Amino acid sequence: MDIITIGNDSIYGDKMPALENACAVLSQHISDIRNEMSSQLGMDPVEHYLTRIKGEESMREKCVRKGLPVTQESALCVIKDAIGVRIVCAFVDDVFTIRDRLKASGRYEVIEEKDYINHAKPNGYRSYHMILKLPEGFFAEIQLRTISMDTWAALEHHLKYKKEISADSELIVNELKRCADELASTDLSMQTIRDMILEQ
Amino acid sequence: MKILLAEDTVDLNRALTAVLQHEKYDVDTVLDGQQAADHLDVDSYDCIILDIMMPKKDGITVLKELRQKNIITPVLMLTAKAEVEDRVTGLDSGADDYLTKPFAIKELLARVRALTRRKTNYGTDELKYNDLSLKSDSFELGCENTVRLSTKEFELMQTLMINQGRLLGTDYLLEHVWANDDNSRPETVWLYISYLKRKLKAIASSVEITGSSSEGFMLK
Repeated sequence: MDIITIGNDSIYGDKMPALENACAVLSQHISDIRNEMSSQLGMDPVEHYLTRIKGEESMREKCVRKGLPVTQESALCVIKDAIGVRIVCAFVDDVFTIRDRLKASGRYEVIEEKDYINHAKPNGYRSYHMILKLPEGFFAEIQLRTISMDTWAALEHHLKYKKEISADSELIVNELKRCADELASTDLSMQTIRDMILEQ
Repeated sequence: MKILLAEDTVDLNRALTAVLQHEKYDVDTVLDGQQAADHLDVDSYDCIILDIMMPKKDGITVLKELRQKNIITPVLMLTAKAEVEDRVTGLDSGADDYLTKPFAIKELLARVRALTRRKTNYGTDELKYNDLSLKSDSFELGCENTVRLSTKEFELMQTLMINQGRLLGTDYLLEHVWANDDNSRPETVWLYISYLKRKLKAIASSVEITGSSSEGFMLK
């Protein structure tokens, strides 16, 4: 039913069904990891996760922004987030466990990893980013983070597109950084409490 | 740096005022306890020097009254040699230090410096240990990353940083960080130590907390 996008207009061209299929397979794999961990931990490690194929407009815009020709080749081989997955966990340790499981499965080639959790961006942004090459040949960008990291990113994203903020922007940037550091601290406290409960 | 000097012996008062002013302190000088109390009602100081034996109102009474009003300014008491009881009462009533007459001017200046330094160090400074920094104005613990600590986490971290190289037992920490409040237990200390251990790791610091509940904890 999603295959209607095939046509002359699609930047993904005739690869769209294969792309959607690869996305579904990846999604199923994450779901399997989630179920396995649920039975081991006795609690679901994943709060929610989203998969998406980058929209036509957004992908064309990105090609232009990067100075690339607007072609299927650019969209699928040069740009590496045609498939995007965001996995949001309740606890910070689960982020790393899921990362380890994905890598250990041997299904994917890890193209790039960025650990913005242990190495937060100067503005306070925290998240774990990975670019994987899927067995089907497509690339996928995986973002792993906790609920509080996700909440923070949502507000920061919202702010970025509010151009009119200027006078107080420094104050807001500093305050957002403070919130990120407080949330990170709370994440670690919650993790410590969970460890203490699980030990008993 | 503003000092209130209350001393009823005119010659000594005059000499001390001159020396303190020479050291660039801003000095308000009074000759009895009542005047000292009046000044404290309208002005604030960085250090207060109080003689104990003064007309109208003695130094101990002035001290007790100012502490009751939550004035936390450091107080240096001046006492005569015989007044052991007064020195004890003075310290117990909230004095930070005392000096027995006769004293060397040099020592008085050193004590004033120590008392005023303590205030600035506790209020605004940043503590450092290896690659670690702890800011007391924002409770920010930082190395490569930064996190914000809660009040008790901050106080525990501060205690560990001030006592580097010394193992601090659970009882010591309960007494100094939690002031033995009714809800704190040895498990509380262990949990807060666990919080800090994780947070040290999360900011990518090389500093660790070593030890155990039974032998005590220290930074390494």
